[in-house]
Amino acid sequence: MSAEFAQMASPAAGPALEMTGISKRFPGVTALEKVDLTLAPGKVHALMGENGAGKSTLIKILAGVYRKDAGSICIGDAEIDVRTPRDALRLGIKVVFQEIALISEFTVAENIFLESYPTNRLGSIDWHGIHRDAAALFARIGFDVDVAAKVGDLPLSQQQMVEIARALAHRAKIVVMDEPTSSLTPREVELLFKVIRRLTDLGIAVLYVTHKLEEVFEIADTVTVLRDGRRISTKPIGEHTEDSLIQDMIGRRIDTLFPRSRNKAESAPVLAVEGLSTARLRGISFEVRAGEILGFFGLMGAGRTELAKAIVGFDPIHAGRIVIDGKPLSPHDTRTGVGLGIGLLTEDRKADSLMLELSVSHNASLAALGEFTNAGFVNESRERGAVQGFVDRFRIKTPSLDQEVEYLSGGNQQKVLLARWLMRGLKVIVVDEPTRGIDVGAKSEIFAVLDRLAGDGLAVVMMTSEMPELLGLSDRIAVMAEGRITTIVNRSEATQEALLNAAIA
Amino acid sequence: MPQSPSLSAMAKALSRSNEAVLLLCLALVIAFFSLASSSFLTILNIANVFGQASLAVIAGVGVGIVVLAGEIDISIGSIVGAVGVPLVVIMNKGGSLELGIAAALALALMIGLVNGYLSAYLGINSLIVTLGSMFVVRGFLYLYTAQRVIPDEQGLESFYQIDNGRLWATVPYPALMAFALLISFMYVMRCRPFGRHIYAVGGNPDVARLAGFDVKAVKFVCFIISALLAGVAGILLSSRLGSAVHVAGLGFEFQVVAAVVLGGVSLAGGVGSLFGVALGVLILSFLSNGFGMLNLATEWQLVVTGIVIIATVALDEFKRRRS
Amino acid sequence: MPDTVQPAMGTPTRAGLRANGPAVLFVLLAILCLAISLGSPRFYAAENIAGILRQCALVLIIGSGMTFLLIAAEVDLSVGAALAFAGVVAMDVTNQTGSALLGALAGILFGGFVGLVNGIIVTRLKVKSLIATIATMMVLQGSVFLYSRQAIQNRDQLPAFSAISTGYLGPVPMPVLIAAVTFACAYVVLRHTLFGRYIYAVGANPRAARLSGLDPDRLKLFLFIITGLLTGLSGLVLASLMNAGQPTAGRGFELTVIAAVILGGTSLKGGRGTLLGTLLGVLILQVINNGIIILGWDQELQLVVPGFVIVLAAYLDIVRRRADVR
Repeated sequence: MSAEFAQMASPAAGPALEMTGISKRFPGVTALEKVDLTLAPGKVHALMGENGAGKSTLIKILAGVYRKDAGSICIGDAEIDVRTPRDALRLGIKVVFQEIALISEFTVAENIFLESYPTNRLGSIDWHGIHRDAAALFARIGFDVDVAAKVGDLPLSQQQMVEIARALAHRAKIVVMDEPTSSLTPREVELLFKVIRRLTDLGIAVLYVTHKLEEVFEIADTVTVLRDGRRISTKPIGEHTEDSLIQDMIGRRIDTLFPRSRNKAESAPVLAVEGLSTARLRGISFEVRAGEILGFFGLMGAGRTELAKAIVGFDPIHAGRIVIDGKPLSPHDTRTGVGLGIGLLTEDRKADSLMLELSVSHNASLAALGEFTNAGFVNESRERGAVQGFVDRFRIKTPSLDQEVEYLSGGNQQKVLLARWLMRGLKVIVVDEPTRGIDVGAKSEIFAVLDRLAGDGLAVVMMTSEMPELLGLSDRIAVMAEGRITTIVNRSEATQEALLNAAIA
Repeated sequence: MPQSPSLSAMAKALSRSNEAVLLLCLALVIAFFSLASSSFLTILNIANVFGQASLAVIAGVGVGIVVLAGEIDISIGSIVGAVGVPLVVIMNKGGSLELGIAAALALALMIGLVNGYLSAYLGINSLIVTLGSMFVVRGFLYLYTAQRVIPDEQGLESFYQIDNGRLWATVPYPALMAFALLISFMYVMRCRPFGRHIYAVGGNPDVARLAGFDVKAVKFVCFIISALLAGVAGILLSSRLGSAVHVAGLGFEFQVVAAVVLGGVSLAGGVGSLFGVALGVLILSFLSNGFGMLNLATEWQLVVTGIVIIATVALDEFKRRRS
Repeated sequence: MPDTVQPAMGTPTRAGLRANGPAVLFVLLAILCLAISLGSPRFYAAENIAGILRQCALVLIIGSGMTFLLIAAEVDLSVGAALAFAGVVAMDVTNQTGSALLGALAGILFGGFVGLVNGIIVTRLKVKSLIATIATMMVLQGSVFLYSRQAIQNRDQLPAFSAISTGYLGPVPMPVLIAAVTFACAYVVLRHTLFGRYIYAVGANPRAARLSGLDPDRLKLFLFIITGLLTGLSGLVLASLMNAGQPTAGRGFELTVIAAVILGGTSLKGGRGTLLGTLLGVLILQVINNGIIILGWDQELQLVVPGFVIVLAAYLDIVRRRADVR
């Protein structure tokens, strides 16, 4: 077994991988439009772009998770067809997603040889050999880890290393990394880069997908920027500056501003957070007034979702005060929170907010049911009347109020959840990535709803990674990085460059 | 260069290790009863306990494997009772123990095939499937036996020896069988790819699928193993009772599941060991034996078993949440 | 990633199809009744119907509570053992105090107490309900014998006690009346009250329920207590039927109850289920059992047929679910 590892991939001539004219459509949206990408062996190729630019679609096609609608992928001269993740591995393509695909109960060594256990003559697993070869692999990439440790016990950064080692074990020629540093400390990032350099020394082509500008300048040889599903540019990193990269990523002007009359006559804030700290958050303080939209921007891992869950009472906090309309959130739980008038529209609808088996009507009325109840009995006609009102108002597309919510499109599901909170009557609504997984048409509808909410006097806290959303809707913008707020600016003062810079800080 | 684990690291791992805690429990139980009763810590008594426990150990290995794969099998009680029928009937008719055993195992295999097919391939919830087969098998058992016991008419010595025989006049054969089966399956689970596939399929089925494991096939085989092992236990029981008893095995599935969970196997799948299962069975068996020695009503053992299970699982949950 | 829009189902209201689950069961029940009565006209005799309904009563009383629990994604396997113990307690207290009323209260409250214990173990100690209630089942099975080795007879032959099960209100046997009232209350609660809605919410997505201000743990605790009280009630009726508190009563009862509830369309995963379905499930299983006897089939088939039926029902549910998505 060791002999095979003695001869690792030697740098080959010609591109390691060529993607030509890749297109992919989903119902209602074009994710990729004739994208070309060429990976050279022994080089790091960065793939950049905003949310929704098409980066993750492209790598999922490479990984065999999605099938392309058009275009070709070639390795050497041969066109390849990647239909399943197994195909990708077999063809020498290893994609390391943010969701670690390892068996958490198994050791590091075992995870590396998962697909084919080396066995001795009797058919027993050669544990000794596995440990030896695993250790050799890690030595090869210059990374120190206890191969006998359980993967589930390791920090994320080391789990990533195990995935990379798996790539080597499969003689991968192409390693794709999807936003690998979103949860890493700077030291861990340095280690990762060291390993990536080792990979390129071995002749492996690395495709590095990221938001983060500084990393690209440090590690990449070439950069391809995607925007709205199209390839905007492919240049050696030397030909770029930070500004030119940002320009390529953002491109379009934000001209769809919402002409809302912003009357913030109120002086007292409806939501005041002081010194909030949790495991991942440090000393968060901010205020929001009625009729105001405070947008929170930040890169993945900045802590916005944690903040959202903490301020509504869903997750416990270590320190800090949350005051809603003058009353403290105490005891710190959702019952009190909802009672005081703060609610959360979560990032992951299916996991946290939707009751998939229940109907549109039941989902929408959940938080407000008390108001339709008399002596414990629910007045269904009043309830349905109210729900119908919101269905009309938000133009929710559903065959009937009794339709199970799991069959609605993402956009309509989100509207149902918005209706849930509005029916309750909130003072503060916290929305986390409100347009995630929603097609373009519905996006603008959600924007309009949020805008109108603020116009009606609600205070809106909006966590988002999408610039247009952020700049189009927010009155003020707070930027988070690594669990802290780095800056709060008025919309008029905010530029995209400044915001991105604050998010990287 | 990976370092070899230091002594303190090993000690820490051991203290976290579920099996170590169970061994400690077992030692405490044995210590307690040997102090409480003079006839507890005798070779004969210990051998007896192992003999009693062997049925649950054998069935526990089977159920443990199914649970590790992320499913459950509660039909084993009915299988234990049912296999006695072909065994005794064929022995009575033809005087051949071997044929009887073959028939008994064939029946168990058939039930396992059905359980496996319905759960793994048709995707029906395994709790429902094995609940259904529990009913169906028990019903047919009652039907065939007309709710009567079928006594062994041949009186074959070899049949008697299966459960009642002893090696060197002390070690009961069933205990040897249980030990052999335990060791064999422990070997498979730790050292054969198939055993590792079971853990993967139970622990992270999506990752297992990505790695190319045939999740359905793995689960299918686990149900077959569980049924066959229940069949073996049933054969032992028939020998013990000297007949095919229609109510044999009633409630057995709950005891076994309890021992499996006590032994650290998570009902979610992918976590636990067969060794832990064996320890779980032994703890419960020694508890019940000890109570007998102290002339405590057998009902106490049920009560204590229940409390022990709750306490253990609650503690385990508490540990899990803290980490 | 933009999620794909599920294509419209084609059927006018797919949700309507799901609501018609009970309709399918009703048709099945009707077919069964027809088939059996064709085989033996005795089926429609008044005593036979009364007998079926009486046997349904016990299962339905507990089944109502169990339906609540399953919808909330929990389960209680201790009901069989609790049933027996409650009956023993009821009989014992009746004997000691000479009052059937006190005995009845004692039995019911005892059931409630068991439910409370189950609820605390599941919601506070965070033990999964499957294993927790198996464990409490063991504790109950043991303790009932410690309480009383023998069956406790109706020592003073108190007619009030036996009237619970043998009495009539007009043409309706008492047990049936009790079950009907219980069922009606449960139905109203589940279908029309806030509490009922919250049960579905908590079972469908406990996190979402919590975000909306609900307290899943407190709710589940209530459900366990309610199921316990109903188990106590059922145990009381059974003890009255046997005119004795029998420690060995109710063996395997929990599985019969769960089988009926699952047959009725309640999912083990929670968030789905109806009491109407449970009622039909109970009726179907009882009718099958009765049919087996009336048609002179082997009595033991009473175990076999329900076994097949549940698995078939679960399979059909999967098929229907997959067809919906297509």
